[in-house]
Amino acid sequence: MSSIHKPDVAIIGAGPGGYVAAIRLAQLGQKVLLVEQNKTMGGVCLNRGCIPSKALIYAGSLYEKMKHAGDMGILLSNEPTIDLPKMMDWKDGIVNKLTGGVAQLLKANGVQTLTGRAEFNGPHKLSVKTPNGNIEQVEAKSYLIATGSSPIDIPGFKRDGKVIIDSTDALSLQDVPKKLALIGGGVIGLELGILYAKLGTEVTVVEMMDQLLPGTDKDVVQVLTRSLKKRKIKVFTESKAQPVQVKGKTATLTIERPKGTEVIKDLDKVLVAVGRKPNSQSMGLEKAGVKVDDRGFIQVDHQLRTSVRHIFAIGDVTSAPLLAHKASKEGLVAAEVIAGNTHEVLDVRAMPSAVFTDPEIATVGLTEEQAKAEGYTLRIGTFPFAASGRAMSMNKTEGLVKMIVDGNTDQILGVHMIGPEVSELIAEVTLAIEMGATAEDIALTVHAHPTLPESIMEAAESVHGKAVHIYQKEKPPLVGAK
Amino acid sequence: MALEFKLPDIGEGITEGEIVKWLVNTGDTVKEDQPLVEIMTDKVTAEIPSPTAGVVQECRGKEGDVVDVGAVIVVIETTTAGVVSEVATKEPTVAAPQSASKPQARCTSPGTSSVLSGSGAKMLAAPATRKLARELGINLTTVAGTGPRGRITPDDVRGFSSSRPTLASGPLSTPSTVQGQESEKRVPFIGMRRRIGEHLVKSKHTAPHFAYVEEVDMTELVSLRQQLKGDAEAQGVKLTYLPFIAKAVISGLKAFPGLNSSLDDAKGELVYKNHYHLGIAAATDEGLIVPVVKFADQKNLYALASEIQDLSLRARNGQLKPHDVTGGTFTLTSIGSIGGLFSVPIINHPEVGIMGINKIEKRAVVRNNTIVIRNMMYLSICCDHRVVDGSEAALFVKHVVEYLQQPARLLI
Repeated sequence: MSSIHKPDVAIIGAGPGGYVAAIRLAQLGQKVLLVEQNKTMGGVCLNRGCIPSKALIYAGSLYEKMKHAGDMGILLSNEPTIDLPKMMDWKDGIVNKLTGGVAQLLKANGVQTLTGRAEFNGPHKLSVKTPNGNIEQVEAKSYLIATGSSPIDIPGFKRDGKVIIDSTDALSLQDVPKKLALIGGGVIGLELGILYAKLGTEVTVVEMMDQLLPGTDKDVVQVLTRSLKKRKIKVFTESKAQPVQVKGKTATLTIERPKGTEVIKDLDKVLVAVGRKPNSQSMGLEKAGVKVDDRGFIQVDHQLRTSVRHIFAIGDVTSAPLLAHKASKEGLVAAEVIAGNTHEVLDVRAMPSAVFTDPEIATVGLTEEQAKAEGYTLRIGTFPFAASGRAMSMNKTEGLVKMIVDGNTDQILGVHMIGPEVSELIAEVTLAIEMGATAEDIALTVHAHPTLPESIMEAAESVHGKAVHIYQKEKPPLVGAK
Repeated sequence: MALEFKLPDIGEGITEGEIVKWLVNTGDTVKEDQPLVEIMTDKVTAEIPSPTAGVVQECRGKEGDVVDVGAVIVVIETTTAGVVSEVATKEPTVAAPQSASKPQARCTSPGTSSVLSGSGAKMLAAPATRKLARELGINLTTVAGTGPRGRITPDDVRGFSSSRPTLASGPLSTPSTVQGQESEKRVPFIGMRRRIGEHLVKSKHTAPHFAYVEEVDMTELVSLRQQLKGDAEAQGVKLTYLPFIAKAVISGLKAFPGLNSSLDDAKGELVYKNHYHLGIAAATDEGLIVPVVKFADQKNLYALASEIQDLSLRARNGQLKPHDVTGGTFTLTSIGSIGGLFSVPIINHPEVGIMGINKIEKRAVVRNNTIVIRNMMYLSICCDHRVVDGSEAALFVKHVVEYLQQPARLLI
């Protein structure tokens, strides 16, 4: 039997945008219904993205460290070996604990959840098809769309889940592939590619653009590219993969390069990770009057309001960058606005992003190119981790900190890092940018020794030619507009 | 010549607006003041009028685009050159100089741009300061920072908020002539001042007001207050007449529930309130504000006195929280300390009544065929005639007057 739900707010999607907004709305006294098509809470992030991939990447790194433990005088009686099904079980345990924890939090906050697929029947009506085929009707005062994104398919690379796989499949493999090709040199592909390379897979990366991680600072990508080479990961940029040919359990890939072609045989996996598209299809948005742009992203204003006043949207389904913490932040702002705090707007100057390659990459703010394009005169400070005592003691000296500063005001515009634990280091500079700090502010702040954040302090000092642990003959020149 | 028309500051801390609808196309001939485009901000949707007559050469930005204040939205080929100089003065206050920023119409997806911009992306201010500015409805680009390199501190924002008219008249005023002599001073009508205005206009447009005035013999109350004053002071309470009047009014509201109601225009229902939240109008440098004593009926004289004192102090210091100024069911406004016979106040919509408290002065009155000197006061009331009739208001006032004339009853 169907029933009509009449909450204050109905949220579609229980990912890091939707569930965070649900909890905040409940805290603000709203009656919330959270609709999720999957059985577990947490969306891609918890189930098939950030969390499981980070668990596996941690395990892969430990395995790699164990193999090199002998350098530090730690001798293992046997070479470490991989039991991939067990590793997957361990990872699933973490995922289950987290998704279960989210479900409990939602319950404790009085958020009602409903499993099923939601579709608008008009601006004020939603129907939810539950797994057993029932249709439940929802009439909420406000709606929040948080449906996220999904991997893009490309012609000639149709996923079969066995040989041609996507990122979700790659997080549940039961055998370590011998030979894997990666279509797309973006964040998701590189994280997984490096993981499997650590586990012993021979990895090839094919990227159409002229660099890996398009849009990322060139100096950072250069370090990564060198590191991939050391790991014997083959990288083909400015290259295009021909439709893959699968025969039995293996595939053959032909790659068109700027000069000539390359053929790779006996691939047991081809991982396609060329990007993600917003989940804005077949959910009745047109019936609700919610406008999407030509790429399918729902258009929202600074209060996360769509073209329909009482319908809000957050996260991947609204715009790039596709980041869990962006969705969460937008969810919190939307929740405040929906609950009546109408002065709230999305007021974020610095949106950090972290890439769990090895070495890790973390960036926030403007790149050198963007800052120049915006007409800034810049001073740029850099500091290599090779000069950091802490990095040496961790046996991880690859990488650098690059700080982009407004040459007129000394205000920090962007920071780009590659190296050990930089995903943790990015928090300091994100706060600095939000606070409008200058390079001098950071240089004058005492940083504990011996720690990795000292490298941020040194990069800030180097902006003024005053880094202590590298030799600087003079202050870096002003670059960009006169 | 071609005129680049920029999105004007629509006020209230708005730094950008969304193009809702173009009302003209490229090639259209437009008259001065003809609406060009509908712009929606988080507060209002406004039609932006053409500053001049001419031919539209270019409409920048698509419907749905978010445009910064100060960005060029329309290019108009003016029909006469003479119009242009007028346009320059006519242009409403565009936000204060933004040093490094070069506002441009953005055509990127709104989500992306929102991540990078926010309110006054180039202003040096910490996130909490920016939030404070939003709460107070202040455009940060108009605040002068006193911190290092012009950093805007929370105190700068609060200071700006409380002394806005004076501050704003400096850097913000648009000279009204180009000859260099200032025949008038222009101050942006924004923020709190503007909100007060909107609120009052709404009240006057919605509720048909009527006024009623009665006089009260306050002699007994004057002496009662005199007796209690010392005791109150000993307990750290400054006892004015207001708490006594508040007590009398609450008694009246309980006897006449129509005065403690509101009209839900949308639903067409009268809402009778069973709680008594008394608004006490307070004059501040920034303008009129009405903090609310919640559950005033459950508080004794001293508690009312100290709460009123606390609220008006915080009102003057600009420290009221949103919940301090919302939820009122009836309002008192007192002008007596300045003078005047009586006031005819405007109702604090959606309440239905407001009482004016006026000055107490010794007057010669007739008692038992003898002229005696008594402490007299006028009590005025304005009501929403849709809800309250004159007789009801008169009876309510009579009830209040009786209590004030026999103030001992207030203590029961």
